[in-house]
Amino acid sequence: MTKQHANWSPYDNNGGSCVAIAGSDYCVIAADTRMSTGYNILTRDYSKISHLAEKCVMASSGFQADVKALQKVLSARHLTYQHQHNKQMSCPAMAQLLSNTLYYKRFFPYYSFNVLGGLDSEGKGCVFTYDAVGSYERVGYSSQGSGSTLIMPFLDNQLKSPSPLLLPAQDAVTPLSETEAVDLVKTVFASATERDIYTGDKVEIVILNASGIHRDFMDLRKD
Amino acid sequence: MTIFKHNGSAVVAMVGKNCFAIASDRRLGVQLQTIATDFQRISKIHDKLYIGLSGLATDSQTLYQRLVFRHKLYQLREELDMKPETFASLVSAMQYEKRFGPYFCQPVIAGLGDDDKPFICTMDAIGAKELAKDFVVAGTASESLYGACESMFKPDMEAEELFETISQALLSSVDRDCLSGWGGHVYVVTPTEVKERILKGRMD
Repeated sequence: MTKQHANWSPYDNNGGSCVAIAGSDYCVIAADTRMSTGYNILTRDYSKISHLAEKCVMASSGFQADVKALQKVLSARHLTYQHQHNKQMSCPAMAQLLSNTLYYKRFFPYYSFNVLGGLDSEGKGCVFTYDAVGSYERVGYSSQGSGSTLIMPFLDNQLKSPSPLLLPAQDAVTPLSETEAVDLVKTVFASATERDIYTGDKVEIVILNASGIHRDFMDLRKD
Repeated sequence: MTIFKHNGSAVVAMVGKNCFAIASDRRLGVQLQTIATDFQRISKIHDKLYIGLSGLATDSQTLYQRLVFRHKLYQLREELDMKPETFASLVSAMQYEKRFGPYFCQPVIAGLGDDDKPFICTMDAIGAKELAKDFVVAGTASESLYGACESMFKPDMEAEELFETISQALLSSVDRDCLSGWGGHVYVVTPTEVKERILKGRMD
């Protein structure tokens, strides 16, 4: 007698890709605006990016209902923090909060694949990448979502520093300028759109730097 | 289907200006154990036709042996080397013969056809051909290869630039796949010569 399995799943995957790149004094966070279910498109105009704190932006792909719930929880916790500490949460602090929030639901997870981007307390760009249950790491760049397997190798190729084990020692990666990083993001989304059916329509690009937050859109293929 | 992930592989072919390049990784594994770091996935059929076989290694070896046999017979009867398009149809037919007990192989075929026009194609394990004008990919690293090739490919590259592009695409892609890697094997074929090169990459 084999075990009976559920014929209904509480989860769905709404697709999409997210990317974040950290620079010396800026951070670029981007996500496409397509929301799909199965082989259907629900909307071409859905933002996966959430502005959690003054210098902290989150992009999430996966199950958007869980993403929305997660954004609400983090937003409420941030408001409480502001009342108690009379200041905005820093990006590394929000990163830890997100990790704890995700692990809180370890046995019924948020089906949400997140990248957090922002500026740390020194004004340098930082990117944190997560799995669905809160394991996180600070990195220079990351991608999540349906197009991430297509995007990550190209980001490695363009951004990764040479191995510290090499002899003679090679200089660490030359950091990209803000415009170069935005161009790189546009290139990767155009490429991912070609080969991933869940990525397309538009890409929303958010740039965080010392002068504040700036949002830009770029059209992608709609097929 | 996890049988395709048993040995691990990465194969890619790209079209350039009057030339083509075909490249593969060098790892042969049995799930998580690496058995060989110099496994040949790409084989020559004739001077202007190469086939790279990804997927289950035993099936790719058997399929290759059968294809060489069929091509030698063709050469004896027709007194000609097979055109790449013809060869692709042969591979497709042989795979579909085994429709309900297939060879677990995804071939990548690359050759110079009439007037030395480059030809590439891939097919699934039961012979569904996919002709492409730019690049084709196969193996456990195929999604990574799609992303890397889509971003790096330009049409009408000369042989040297094509070599650089395909090498970078292969190495970046296999570095994100645990089951493929341990260097690369690249063949760049022009109407006059064939350059075979070994790439040094991350040995993990």
